[in-house]
Amino acid sequence: MNTLDIYTRIQADPRYTEACRSCMNCGVCTAICPAAGYYDYDPRVIVNLVREGDEETLTDMLSSDLIWYCGQCMSCKPRCPRGNIPGALIQILRAVSINTGLFVHSALGRQQLAIKRSIGHNILETGYCVHPTRVDPEMHPEQGPVWAWMSNNANRVYGRFDEGYDKSGPGLLRKISPEALGDLDRIFEVTGCKRLWKTIEDESAK
Amino acid sequence: MLDGKKHRIAVIGAGPAGAAAAISAAAMGMEVDWYDKENRPGGKLNDYHQLFPDRSSAEQILADFEGRTEAIEIKKHFGTAVNRIETDNRQLILLSDNEIVGNADSVIVATGFDFFDARLKEEFGYGIYNHVITSPDLEQILKTNPEDLRKEGADPASIAFVHCVGSRDQQAGINYCSRLCCITGIKQAIEIKELFPSCKVVNFYIDIRAFGSGYEELYREAQEKYKVQFIRGRVSEASENQQHRILLKAEDTLMARPLKLTVDWLVLLVGMVPSCTQVQIDNHQCTDQETGFYQPVNAFTGSRMAGQPGIFTAGACGGPMSIPEATASGRSAALEAWQYIKDR
Amino acid sequence: MKNYWKDYQKDIAEDNYFYVRSCIRQNFFPGAENLFIDILRNKLGKVVFEDADHTTCTGIGYHTDIVPLETTMTVVARQFALMKEKGYQNLVVSCVTSFGLYSEILDLWKHQPELKKKIAGYLAEATGRVFDEPGNMVHASDILYKYRNEIAAIAKYQLVNRETGEPLKIVDHIGCHYAKTFPERGVGGSEFPQVLTGLITAWGGSTVDYPERRHCCGFGFRHYMVQTNRGYSISQSKIKLESMQPYEPDLIVANCPGCAMFLDRWQYTLEETEGSVYGQNGRKIPVVTHEELAGIVLGYDPWEIGLQTHQVPVEELLDKIGIEYDPDLKYTDRQGNLIGNPEMINQQVC
Repeated sequence: MNTLDIYTRIQADPRYTEACRSCMNCGVCTAICPAAGYYDYDPRVIVNLVREGDEETLTDMLSSDLIWYCGQCMSCKPRCPRGNIPGALIQILRAVSINTGLFVHSALGRQQLAIKRSIGHNILETGYCVHPTRVDPEMHPEQGPVWAWMSNNANRVYGRFDEGYDKSGPGLLRKISPEALGDLDRIFEVTGCKRLWKTIEDESAK
Repeated sequence: MLDGKKHRIAVIGAGPAGAAAAISAAAMGMEVDWYDKENRPGGKLNDYHQLFPDRSSAEQILADFEGRTEAIEIKKHFGTAVNRIETDNRQLILLSDNEIVGNADSVIVATGFDFFDARLKEEFGYGIYNHVITSPDLEQILKTNPEDLRKEGADPASIAFVHCVGSRDQQAGINYCSRLCCITGIKQAIEIKELFPSCKVVNFYIDIRAFGSGYEELYREAQEKYKVQFIRGRVSEASENQQHRILLKAEDTLMARPLKLTVDWLVLLVGMVPSCTQVQIDNHQCTDQETGFYQPVNAFTGSRMAGQPGIFTAGACGGPMSIPEATASGRSAALEAWQYIKDR
Repeated sequence: MKNYWKDYQKDIAEDNYFYVRSCIRQNFFPGAENLFIDILRNKLGKVVFEDADHTTCTGIGYHTDIVPLETTMTVVARQFALMKEKGYQNLVVSCVTSFGLYSEILDLWKHQPELKKKIAGYLAEATGRVFDEPGNMVHASDILYKYRNEIAAIAKYQLVNRETGEPLKIVDHIGCHYAKTFPERGVGGSEFPQVLTGLITAWGGSTVDYPERRHCCGFGFRHYMVQTNRGYSISQSKIKLESMQPYEPDLIVANCPGCAMFLDRWQYTLEETEGSVYGQNGRKIPVVTHEELAGIVLGYDPWEIGLQTHQVPVEELLDKIGIEYDPDLKYTDRQGNLIGNPEMINQQVC
């Protein structure tokens, strides 16, 4: 018997009342959704399934790739005649999927581990989501030869624009102070992000 | 005549509702003063071509009203826009831009409606792309020169209609349904097909609201006889390509997949909003806070408006309604006015 | 909303700006932000303050669902706290995703004040700081929009093809998180935003309206961050590039750093993988950011402001406008020594 209380968790999210009100099934969200044009994905159907509130259906949905297609562009938001935000509902579904461990049942969901270990670690280790020393040209051939040149010669390339590069004090890609990083670290602890990361690691290891 | 005295009633608005009210009031023996901001009667009837559901000629209906108002005694004040009613004792004073233009024992407000301004839904490109038009625009074209729909001498290859433009839409600030746009879209789709049989006509709808007598039958006829295609999904966005054709993005919700379509013309079925020339009644809030339409004190018992007794509403100024509904409410308001005068 | 959105103007502060940088912009357009600061300080005489202790807003982490809502709210609260500590009320945000995130958080706090209180508690517990909401919060492109006429008055160049005398045909690309999330937070609303078209017309160019103008560039956050998902990202950019191609644009300008990066890089990738190019005469379309566009018309040296960090070469554009530059200084360092030349495999050489 399912005791995850998926529907209750979804409704408890602060974003829920804005994200998911009522749907007249006009389809303007799906019409404009870049993911709907690329994947077998329909945000309108997602909104309807959530509103039905069936635990089994929602459990299956949160265990599938379906909730990981959205590209977070929010093109759906200004169009919806009822004021729904499918893109924000997706964020809620993803959060519940991770917190309940269901995310490991889908290939796309399992990508959370890789993202946590790259973006997540970047944030706490550098204070940035992305850093030239951490966007390996080998992993990013699509960036082209100019990026390879920038990344491989970071000190001199970035140094041309700001002598403060990678140093303390204000400036381009400054070295963010240990005190500031300490603030971030404690914020991540107190607000439950570290707990989320532990869930991602532990569930992925199973 | 009532109690040997001639009682006076003012009707503001000379559209279908106002015309019906004026005719009925005169028939009941009241002295009628009839106002309209335009120099001619008829309201929107002047702009329509064929009326749903039976394709009656708007021109003929208008001529009928004009004939009947000529035949009886009604004082016409056309070209006078009454925008305020005040009370003095039990007399109702009519003002146009602070100038007194009349008084009466009872007033029927029948100021009608405006069409939703489609420029407010920018994603459809109305006012930006020439081949995006509204249903009233199309009605004008059908009435005056349908040839305008041809492009470079060729029949249009495809025309799409979008239902619910400016209705049922929080983004447009209008949450109600305008009731008559669906049947308008069905009627105009048929008219297009009659003019250009080889033109592909697609109606993009959310719900087909065909509630009136003959409406559902017309919907079926559109599909079976005229081969109009109905796709369930509101158009999300329209843009123009270099050939000035309109590209649409919608979802076919019954198939649950997005679709794109390129058409020669896009017709926006715009909803109905309160007229910009509404009448302010003393300092009373007589209109609905949400919709802006006039609201009677108790819709179940009559059309009397808040504040000073003796003021009644008729027609689409009280909410979206069809012409038969408007004329019926006009006749009914006249009766209410007569009863008010009798009982006071 | 009964607004004519295209006429909608929003409240943009005049001076005393607290500037927060963008992860993506710093990485991929390293000359851009210092250029923006220089324009504001030295060309417009404004006060711009950058706090060395500010961090990422965690927007990318938030939209890849590895940073939960309350964490990102608390990090944002910390940014506001730094602003309060330094005595500033006017926040200027470099990244568009950040701007959207700040907008979303301020809106959530407005409707759920108990949530704001909770976050204040977290911030105090974790850092001992307290915060106030900014009095004014805008994107960096809004500032340039506000002062577009002042910039036009001191501009050295126009966005005009020097040879033909015709205004350059410029595609404006607005980041999705600028106005789609809260149309009232975008100049001109969400359908036809005016923030970049205002710059383009003020500086002599003409704008291109093409069918996929409003389509997302395809960043997709997780769709780029994870290598296997990149097909989504490149496909969306391709849709845009194919749609704009018949209009023969001379230039693309984007206010979101991610969008600028993708529209620039994906043209390289599409040529490598498919052989497709979308510009005039079999060439690619140069892509610039809003501050780079300003820098170009104001006469800054192209290499000093970082145009060499673009994958699509800009030389042809500079020649069209009539800007002089020294090709030998393109790939040099601060001391003027050559750093090396990026490989040019199958790459167009201007």
